[in-house]
Amino acid sequence: MMLPVERIIGEEGLTVTPRGLRLAMRLPWYRSLPFSVVEVASLAIDGAPVDLTDARVEYDDHSWTLAELGEATNAFWFVRDSAFLVVPTHGVAPGSEHSVSLILKIAPPYIPGMMRTNPQTATLVAG
Amino acid sequence: MTKTTGPEVGVTLYSFTNEWLNRQFDLDMLMREVARRGLGPNIEIIGFQSFKEFPDVSDDFASRFKDLIVETGLNPVSLAINSDRFLKPGQQPIDDATLVEYHKRQLRSAKKLGFSLVRYQFALPVHLLPDIAPYAEELGVRMGVEVHAPMWAGHPAVIAYREMYDKLQSPVLGWIPDFGGTATAIPPSLLDAARAAGAKESLIELVQQIWPEPGMSHEKAGKLREIAIREGHDPLHIQAVNLAFFILANHDPKSWAELVDRTIHIHGKFYGVNDAGVEEAIPYETILPLFRDGGFTGTIVSEWEGHAYCADDAFEQVRRHQAMCRRILAGEAVAA
Repeated sequence: MMLPVERIIGEEGLTVTPRGLRLAMRLPWYRSLPFSVVEVASLAIDGAPVDLTDARVEYDDHSWTLAELGEATNAFWFVRDSAFLVVPTHGVAPGSEHSVSLILKIAPPYIPGMMRTNPQTATLVAG
Repeated sequence: MTKTTGPEVGVTLYSFTNEWLNRQFDLDMLMREVARRGLGPNIEIIGFQSFKEFPDVSDDFASRFKDLIVETGLNPVSLAINSDRFLKPGQQPIDDATLVEYHKRQLRSAKKLGFSLVRYQFALPVHLLPDIAPYAEELGVRMGVEVHAPMWAGHPAVIAYREMYDKLQSPVLGWIPDFGGTATAIPPSLLDAARAAGAKESLIELVQQIWPEPGMSHEKAGKLREIAIREGHDPLHIQAVNLAFFILANHDPKSWAELVDRTIHIHGKFYGVNDAGVEEAIPYETILPLFRDGGFTGTIVSEWEGHAYCADDAFEQVRRHQAMCRRILAGEAVAA
């Protein structure tokens, strides 16, 4: 059983968009956190690691590369919302089914030294 | 306004974290449900859990929230704010001026939304209190620092705060005890959840052995991790049992007596109230009379934290917890 607080693959799932492959992510904590304490550690599709060098995290009107995320100390990920991981180069066709494995790490900013690792694998059909 | 003669009960919306995260309820629906079930009227809300605009709030949102308060008849007793000091993992904490302003933003939001009390955290270095307390006084908002595990009345950080409180003599500063610091055991429901997730019995035994040992919680957590890794336990199972060190400690429940006089609000932390009306890990029968007899007349908000590891019905758990608190405050023994 996966608890709501452990879930990191969002309800909006996987979609193929003009900007790339878009995966919904949920924040694995009970409250909103600044994006600076969130790390997208890895993504694998059908067991193959995805290169995230050009990937971006999109949330409302924001868009960051993974390297920029650590500077986003005043942008808060509302705990009920999905943020989206967008990967420009991919081989996923709309309508195809895939095993998607994501790992997020978070460091709650009021608990010094605490780092939690949250993995999730889900079978998703690309929309 | 009803005249208060003793502690009142209430609920923090944090208890409904599962129902909130899985989008079963939005804020309007959740507040209406709490009111409909008679679990209020006193409520606490975590700003960063329930309000998207937090740490600031717009005039428009504040106005809609106040309308919702009127509609539901709920009483916004406490707003939990956060002392987020470690915004860049592995790097230096943010500078003092930024942290002070971060608190002021949240205090303004509390005032704007109609809360007269905030919960803040020990992550705020004590030397910054003189910069913040006068602002809270100006706003007329009381500030309670949450004494949460691994803290307890005798912890060095609590003593340092007590000395600063004595020095400042501010009418707005106080304590918010969280009873997780004085648990008698790791909640059986937490261990059952770890077992259900696949943790081996040897790991369950190990955490039960290390948890009551003397020492700092983070050191004990580190010790467990080290031994468990050596013994080949799955890192996710280790993380599941290690939660116990961050949310619970086993200090003397009677030690709360030292904090009663400055207690302005209480987090009635709990994990599971059984059919007999008894909480499984925290000795409420010992703790609550200390506050009742010590003259505390604020609110004990029911704070169910079982959602950190299980999906039990939070509404039912809160109902049971409030019934238990009322029974103990009335001086009644548990039903045989």
